[in-house]
Amino acid sequence: MKTKQLSCWIAAITLAASIASCSKKENTGVIKPVIPPSHPIAAGNISGFVKGTLLTGSTYTVTADINVNKGDTLLAQPGAIIVVKNNSQFKIQGVFQSMGTQTNPVSFNSDSNTPGTWGGFACDSAQAVTIQWTKIFNTGGPDNKGSARRTLVVAKPIKVDIEDSWIENGQDDGLGLFGGAQVTILRNTIQSGGSTDGEAINLKTGATGTVAYNVIFSQAGTGIKLETAAVVTTTLTNVNVYNNTIVAGGWRRGAAEPGRGVSAGVSAKGNIYNNIIVNCYHGLEIFTDDGNNNVNYGNNLFYSSALTFTDKTVTPNVVVNLRDGYYPAGALGVAQTSDIVSTAVGNGDPMFVSFDGSFLNPNGAPNNNDFHLKAGSPAIGKGNATYNADMGAYTADGKGNKH
Amino acid sequence: MVAKFYLLSFFILFSASVFAQNASISGRVADKNNNEPLAGAVVYLDGSKNSSVVNDKGEYALLNVSPGKHQVVVKYISYLDHSENVTLSSGQALVLNMKLHQNTQNLNEVNVHGRLLTENEAAARANEKNSDNVKNVISAQAIAKSPDINAANVLQRVSGVTIQRNAGGDDAFAIIRGLEPRYNNTLINGIQIASPSSKTRLVSLSVVPSDLLARIEVDKTLTPEMEGDAIGGTVNMVFKDAPDKREISATSSIGYEQLFLDRKFVDFSKKDIHTYSPSETNEANYIAQPGDFTRSNLDFKNIQAPPSETFTLSFGERFLNNKLGLIIGNSYQNNYFGSNTEGNIGNADPNDPDRRPVINDIYNRAISSRQILNNLIAHLDYKINDRNKIVFDNVFLYSRIEEALFNADTSIRGGNGGRTISGTGPVSITRQSTVTSQYIENIKLSGNHVLGEHLSFDWYGAFSDAFVRTPDQAAISSNILIAYDPATGFTKTPEFFDEIDRTWAHNNDKDFDGAGKITYKTKIKNALLEIKAGGLYRHKSRYNYEDEYILKNVADANGGKPAFTNIYTLQWSVYNVYGAGAYNVNNYTATEDVGAYYGMAKVSFPKLELLGGVRAETTSQDIHVLQDITNASEITKNYTDLLPSVNIKYKVSEKANLRLAYYASIARPAYFELVPTGSTGASNGVSTLGNPALKHTTANNYDFRYEIFPKADEQFFIGTYYKQLTNPIEFAYVGGNSSVIMPINTGSAKVAGVELGYTKFIGNYGISGNYAYNYSDVTDNKKINRLNPTQDTIEHRMLSGASVHDLNVSLLYRNKKTGLNAQLAFQYLGKTLVGRYPDNGDNYIQQPLSSLAFSADKSIGKHFTIFTKLNNLLNTHTTVVLHNFQNGNEITKATYLVGARYNY
Repeated sequence: MKTKQLSCWIAAITLAASIASCSKKENTGVIKPVIPPSHPIAAGNISGFVKGTLLTGSTYTVTADINVNKGDTLLAQPGAIIVVKNNSQFKIQGVFQSMGTQTNPVSFNSDSNTPGTWGGFACDSAQAVTIQWTKIFNTGGPDNKGSARRTLVVAKPIKVDIEDSWIENGQDDGLGLFGGAQVTILRNTIQSGGSTDGEAINLKTGATGTVAYNVIFSQAGTGIKLETAAVVTTTLTNVNVYNNTIVAGGWRRGAAEPGRGVSAGVSAKGNIYNNIIVNCYHGLEIFTDDGNNNVNYGNNLFYSSALTFTDKTVTPNVVVNLRDGYYPAGALGVAQTSDIVSTAVGNGDPMFVSFDGSFLNPNGAPNNNDFHLKAGSPAIGKGNATYNADMGAYTADGKGNKH
Repeated sequence: MVAKFYLLSFFILFSASVFAQNASISGRVADKNNNEPLAGAVVYLDGSKNSSVVNDKGEYALLNVSPGKHQVVVKYISYLDHSENVTLSSGQALVLNMKLHQNTQNLNEVNVHGRLLTENEAAARANEKNSDNVKNVISAQAIAKSPDINAANVLQRVSGVTIQRNAGGDDAFAIIRGLEPRYNNTLINGIQIASPSSKTRLVSLSVVPSDLLARIEVDKTLTPEMEGDAIGGTVNMVFKDAPDKREISATSSIGYEQLFLDRKFVDFSKKDIHTYSPSETNEANYIAQPGDFTRSNLDFKNIQAPPSETFTLSFGERFLNNKLGLIIGNSYQNNYFGSNTEGNIGNADPNDPDRRPVINDIYNRAISSRQILNNLIAHLDYKINDRNKIVFDNVFLYSRIEEALFNADTSIRGGNGGRTISGTGPVSITRQSTVTSQYIENIKLSGNHVLGEHLSFDWYGAFSDAFVRTPDQAAISSNILIAYDPATGFTKTPEFFDEIDRTWAHNNDKDFDGAGKITYKTKIKNALLEIKAGGLYRHKSRYNYEDEYILKNVADANGGKPAFTNIYTLQWSVYNVYGAGAYNVNNYTATEDVGAYYGMAKVSFPKLELLGGVRAETTSQDIHVLQDITNASEITKNYTDLLPSVNIKYKVSEKANLRLAYYASIARPAYFELVPTGSTGASNGVSTLGNPALKHTTANNYDFRYEIFPKADEQFFIGTYYKQLTNPIEFAYVGGNSSVIMPINTGSAKVAGVELGYTKFIGNYGISGNYAYNYSDVTDNKKINRLNPTQDTIEHRMLSGASVHDLNVSLLYRNKKTGLNAQLAFQYLGKTLVGRYPDNGDNYIQQPLSSLAFSADKSIGKHFTIFTKLNNLLNTHTTVVLHNFQNGNEITKATYLVGARYNY
């Protein structure tokens, strides 16, 4: 609850700032005629085969699976509110566009508002996916076979654009981007997802593109995972991963499968720069199976607010020496001179505006932290300038996360 | 209980064997030409008052004969009846040796009176020699003397037949001439049987105990009166027929597997298993609770395996002045077996410039299985008069398998990190218990009617029903991580509990068959003309049901994953509380109607037989899917095939034939392969889908064979075949990056081969062997170009399942004086392509393997035989290689069995 209040507050400030800057310029008014949306969808219950426009200010109740056929488009206007019942899922074979705005986001949530209560977006064979300023909460209800569903999954070489959105309290992967998807994943907040497994952003089997300025908090498994792992030969997964802030991730999956801030394995390709990784089980792991050193990395910040963490879930308890996990033993990754690697509590602290210092949180736990950087943070100005002068999701140049 | 019943029956039957006698006739029955004993011939006294079956040594005895005049008649398949009149004085023991002439006339005359003896080797050879088509026959006599205890083991010794087994070893299907089981059909008493499989049309041959079989026939060419869905061939399991006089037989044996001397057998409790899933027990929208799921079937215990055992009892009799014949038999087996497998799962390595597969995972799997088989047969034949006969056959096959499977999979590459140094890596552990019960019931009523001098009519009606239920297959998965740090050495995490999968499945397949044919025969000068016309109609219906629940771990208050310590204290939550019954991909119903009719003519000259005709088969299928509405909910398919065939037999001599045959045939896809929805893969994004566009396979088949039968139980044959398949069906990845596995029609395929068989006895020693060379080439146009994965490429390769070389050699010893028989059976199988790898350049290749088995029996007194059957004496490993590493190595061990047989 507090998070949302906070983000509204930030949004209000940003809005005020933009109005202030506008007032200095010449004032031109253009009044556009009101163009009616094509195929408006009436508020109320929806299910089955649907195409058209979910309207601003309307509330829709999804009572059963929604199918968007190949060639059809489902578009959500800013401020559309979609309440999903009965563990339903959006099955997109056509085009899906959720076009929220900063002031008027689109909202998808279940009627019960509890984690794992609806099926998310199956875009396996969609034609295009664009999601902006959209809240997608509490996905991950079981599929027909009883498996956890990802919040959103794509398995085709299509364009996938997900920007400025909130993905919270899922049960498995947040974004599963496979099969050569061309991805642009910018400025999102993905938090408290995965019950005891699942990555926040899972990029496999030939996905390419950019993952930047995202905040990932308390994911069960790995924050951002790159892998070409395949049953069949595919093109390499090749993604630029920069300026993400990844906090308190990888704990819920347990010591046998520690989660990482960012991992790259099985001949993944990518550039991993300017990320801030705090209180995660493991930091940046470049697996040995990435034979050819296809991954470039540096200018990442690693910090832990304690020396060790004791996992008391299991007997015997597992004591994790946190600083050993920044670049885990046995993996290929080694600390770079451009990195900021904490050597003691207090050393290399990125100085978040507020952070409770948590490690292991339950699935669906609230995020009461503010990962903006205080003035004087060592992350400011230490970024690889190719991507950004600063590290982390919130940067001084305003290109960063707007939440 | 069952065992007690058997023992009791055994003694009751045994005690009824004492007779008084006044006169007797005994002697030897042999072939006129070569003086070979004619085992299996029947000597009748005065019609059929009293009779005696000629034994292996050629001897018979008619006891308790009253003094006076009598007529003695000997009947034997492929020989002319021989008759002698004798006069006996009181107390006389007459020795009467008789020699029979081979019948050079055609044997396919309607024979409603008298029965063809079919259970010995000589009869099997005569069957092969006199048949219209190319076939191989194994007699009950050969089966009894072999090391084999089920139909699958028996079949692997037939020329050109190999057996495909599943990982647990409990399923076995015939590959004939390198063609996968899908291209062959399986019959019981000549009728197609319903399949208990949810995914295929197949019936596992390992559920058929060999004890009650009269013979197994493998038909390698078809005539128009045979069903056309056999490209490789037809396996016909013929069960025992009523004898000419009372026959009682009882067999019992006990055995053990070496594997369970080396390791323990893994057992689990069956007592709490729920037959129905929570949603079946309650109503459809029942919300399952954690307490609805049992724990004891996931409590695995190591025990010393009990011995395996078999009991068979059969009783045959003739009643009502020999008009009514009866045989009932029951065969029970309780077997313990298992395997240990170590393997490596491999996938393409994108770092390799050549993109060849590398090892991704190492797994170790141990399976412990107990299989209970029970086979009950009943046969009644009633001879209304010399022109009409009605036969009833019932075959009931029951099988129950209790399987415990442990699998530990260590990730080498990929997943959540792989292996760093030897001995490390994330390990996923699965422990699974499965109980499967199935029955297959076959009822057949048939009749033969002679309508006149030239005309006869034969018909049958049959019902076949296969039902299988797997209640609560339970699998618990957990994981541990073994890591190495130079400072601290190896460390191992606690075992974390992931989830439990519970699946309930049952399905039912029903066939109703009706068929009839009219035969017209006439003589034109020295030629015999036979014209047949007939038809068949089959209605097949099936349902599949599967329900699945996932039980998730319950995170502790902090949200962490719990450890797995004890199944009885484990906490779980039901993730999909409604189950998956209504939407499961394995839920479908299907019907299939096949209408067939044919006409054929056969002309027999003294030296030459020509048989030709055409069969038409109309197939109509309708499949309903309880599925995702974006896909099809109903699939219908209709097609008609015209299947011509020609069989030419030239009799080089009395003992030798040259055969030339052509036939067209088909193979229908399984219903499941047409269902357009499938399972979506979990982590790797791979899903398996059916393909409604799948076409049935058609084939043109050519055969040539030379065969010679120098003596009644000896033979030599050499044959060659060529087959051309259109639309062969194989599973392939389609759609490049989208990773969908689908059954597809891969271009075309050619199969060619040579088969040789040889059986020869010198004194007490014999050798029997066969060899098949098989060449196959499939134009696989759906292989993924490994260097450019978005494109498909064409690859020529062997057909899946085809072995290049198949050699069987048996050394035989038989001593009729001492009643000792022994057999050492060796098998060599050449390279076999057992799986298709999706990228071009590689496939899963089973390495050549050799196996050895031994059997011996010794008769003790008049009625008893003791025997031993020792199998897999070389502890043969089944090794599969992918590219340059071992994909799997399944280790099974020798089995030992001893037993006794009683015959009256």
